Amino acid sequence: MKPVETREAAYLVDDVGAESRMEVGGGPQRTGITRLGRKLGGILAQVTWVALGLSLGVGVWQAAAVILGSDVIMPGPATTFDAFRYYMGHSYPTQGYPLWQHAWFSLERVFLGFAIGVTVGIVLGALMVAIRPIRRTLDPLVEAMRVLPMIAFIPMFVVWFGIGNQPKIVLIAVAVVPIMIVSVVAALDQFPEEMVNAAQCLGASRWYALLHVRIRGSAPAILTGMRLSMGVSWGNIVAAEMIVATSGLGYIVLEAGLYLQTALIFAGIISIVVLGLLCDLVLRLIQRALDPVRREPQR
Amino acid sequence: MRLRVNVASEGDEVKLLDASPEGAVGQGGHVVVSGVTKTFRRARQSRLVLEKIDLELEAGEFVCLLGPSGCGKSTLLNIIAGFQRADQGKVMVGGRLVTKPGADRCVMFQKPTLFPWMTVLDNVLFGPRAQRKRTKEARAKALDLLLAFGLSGFERHYPHQLSGGMQHRVAVARALMNQPSLLLMDEPFAALDAITRARMQEFLLDLWERERMTVLFVTHDLEEAILLADRVCVMSPRPGTIHHQAEVRLTRPRSQATVESLEFLELRRAIRSTIKGDSQ
Repeated sequence: MKPVETREAAYLVDDVGAESRMEVGGGPQRTGITRLGRKLGGILAQVTWVALGLSLGVGVWQAAAVILGSDVIMPGPATTFDAFRYYMGHSYPTQGYPLWQHAWFSLERVFLGFAIGVTVGIVLGALMVAIRPIRRTLDPLVEAMRVLPMIAFIPMFVVWFGIGNQPKIVLIAVAVVPIMIVSVVAALDQFPEEMVNAAQCLGASRWYALLHVRIRGSAPAILTGMRLSMGVSWGNIVAAEMIVATSGLGYIVLEAGLYLQTALIFAGIISIVVLGLLCDLVLRLIQRALDPVRREPQR
Repeated sequence: MRLRVNVASEGDEVKLLDASPEGAVGQGGHVVVSGVTKTFRRARQSRLVLEKIDLELEAGEFVCLLGPSGCGKSTLLNIIAGFQRADQGKVMVGGRLVTKPGADRCVMFQKPTLFPWMTVLDNVLFGPRAQRKRTKEARAKALDLLLAFGLSGFERHYPHQLSGGMQHRVAVARALMNQPSLLLMDEPFAALDAITRARMQEFLLDLWERERMTVLFVTHDLEEAILLADRVCVMSPRPGTIHHQAEVRLTRPRSQATVESLEFLELRRAIRSTIKGDSQ
């Protein structure tokens, strides 16, 4: 056998390192400026695609307005924008609030209901994963809640909680809870057991492993559940405000409909879309911050 | 291209891990498995996975458990690790009865099981942080380990940005932070390509030469078992038993060149004849 003389005080290091550094393109030798340039280029490309998609949508909308030829039946983008600008400064209805304040009311209700629903959902979901009998008991209830249109309960919520903000917040919370439970349970179930085992043999206690490994590692998947919940929250708040409210975006869309203020209907709907997308964007940014794999540039 | 990182000047016997009072070759790495029996029960079926396993590992010994898939070798390893309980029998590591997973016995899996949301450095520091130890010293030690393993410059990378071999080295560094007296390895290199795998085998041999912790290495690859181990325990399935043990007296340090020696081939032939596969 040939003696290997270079083994004394050196650990062998394969050249895979160099290869991987090239693959990643983010190795230690890359300068900050090129990385920044690349990032800016990526953002620019993304903005271009978004702008293209948006102008396509606006184009179709404008074409429809021109073909139908009536500002009442089909208000075009320009008419809608005028209505939007006007009602940002003027109350609607006359004794009511300007558009931005309606938007604020809706946002407030969505935020509170969403926060309560998400918290309750995460706690219940984690308990269901940790304790078998709780899961057995709650499973059928959650399944039933999931197919139930919660908006059907709004008359009861009004009886129980009055006509203020509470019934709307409760509605959103109740609609969000089953979605969060399902996604939290799925996320925690899917999390590889090996990783928890690895944590424990590195000296982590069961609680430390649960909190810092299983729950932390499932956070990106739980964020996906939160994004779904956010969509449902906006759907429910608009519906609730259409049924029982004197403020909020759902309320003015319905109210404007009654008086055939169609441009205002469009302005209201677009406000809902923009707010919904902004909320989703915030959640997406949190998700990216929690999950380094998602931060990689898209190819 | 081959990079070499010198942890010490040539000939210096510097250990990466602090010498414990008894050293790694103290009582800590002594393993006694006696009469371990395990049955898996699934709706109306019960399968005897392990039957009265007796196995002893001297402190500082490198033992390979060899057998076809489904022979219970991973189950045995999980019981020693404390992830699963034996139905009968007991496991003692360093004179203490195993009842739950502990930092004295580190397990390496087929996947590196690095935490994907942590940087390389945070992964390596997981053990000390989980045990709420002083992180300043731990940090210095982690950086030393990463340097020795050719990973310096990658401290702030995330696991998915590394190659398979590098991920495994990070996993080894993470395990060594706790100075385990026993390393339990469950087919750790099975998913690697042949070249990376050969390098990881040399890496492990090198590490073991230096630290001399007890290693129990599960594999279904006969050549890997002979190359690495002092002793190969051959397991057969249904029920899982150790039916043959072979001492490997090949000179150390070993390398990939060992595989081509005549003694190696003879040993391989002798052990192969004792393996009872699934098909037989």
